[in-house]
Amino acid sequence: MPSAAKIKAVVVDDQLTMRTLVRSALQQIGVTDVREFPKAQEAIAAMKTQPAHIILSDFNMPEMDGLEFLRAVRADPTLKSTGFVLLTGRADVELVKRAVQFGANNYLAKPFTVAVLKQKLEQVFGPLTA
Amino acid sequence: MMATRAAATEQRAHLRRYRSPRDGRWHVQLTLGDTYVTSDSGEVLTTILGSCIAACIRDPVSGVGGMNHFLLPDSDGHDREARCYGINAMELLINEIQKHGGDRRRLEAKLFGGGNVVAALSDVGARNVSFAKQFLADEGIALVGGDVGGNIARRIQYMPATGKALQAAVRDRSRDLVEDELSALHTVASPAPASDVEFFE
Repeated sequence: MPSAAKIKAVVVDDQLTMRTLVRSALQQIGVTDVREFPKAQEAIAAMKTQPAHIILSDFNMPEMDGLEFLRAVRADPTLKSTGFVLLTGRADVELVKRAVQFGANNYLAKPFTVAVLKQKLEQVFGPLTA
Repeated sequence: MMATRAAATEQRAHLRRYRSPRDGRWHVQLTLGDTYVTSDSGEVLTTILGSCIAACIRDPVSGVGGMNHFLLPDSDGHDREARCYGINAMELLINEIQKHGGDRRRLEAKLFGGGNVVAALSDVGARNVSFAKQFLADEGIALVGGDVGGNIARRIQYMPATGKALQAAVRDRSRDLVEDELSALHTVASPAPASDVEFFE
């Protein structure tokens, strides 16, 4: 059973408020190694030297959106095995289907609860211990 | 352009849009949970607020702007989840403005609402005002006006093209407002499933 404390997470969202909220929710689950980035490009550069186990990325971002980010991650030999959870602003079946095609591991519709976030992570990693 | 038109059509699907006999302009009426953005210089966005907040945000250069109308649910100790609901409401508005061609770096906001319209909801308005102001400060969006707090319900008209906002005190709709807000307040901010698709490695 994986330990949440050993998970290295990267949170990407252009809004500081949402990044802070996701970090806080991850910490409540026990994921304490969390790096935040406002832009996907910055996250990609950082993960090349410091890999992560899981990326939680917003979809709506002005320069590189969440799907472009996902495609870039899956196309990069050093990053392609990183888990990817797409945060969506509202229920959007088509977006979720496209994310599946591009290799997303899961999605998280906002607003979300800590319990749902944990459930999504466990669908990627299996049951988590603190 | 086509994407913008499609987005506008999607937004309008459930909103009441009518030509006002008073000013001859198209008015779009928002209620709790709505978000609407326009680049049409003739449109007027309207709503009625009790404890709820309406954030009116625009890019003054492109003239793109819009309004949301939200109420943080009763947190019952789960403040993070209530804030998540509010952040999502603000994010939807900001994202929609960007989709219509607005530049996030130029955004300016006016806040309305957060009134103490019934004793039973005494701290709800203040909690919503506090959240909205903090959000704008954290995100670096200038608060350039508006009117919050007090003991009144408000009718708001906002013209994103000019940034002009009009406010009137409302008395005749107070009972309806209270019922709507009490109902929304106790609705848990549960995430909407994006689909019945479950997928993972």
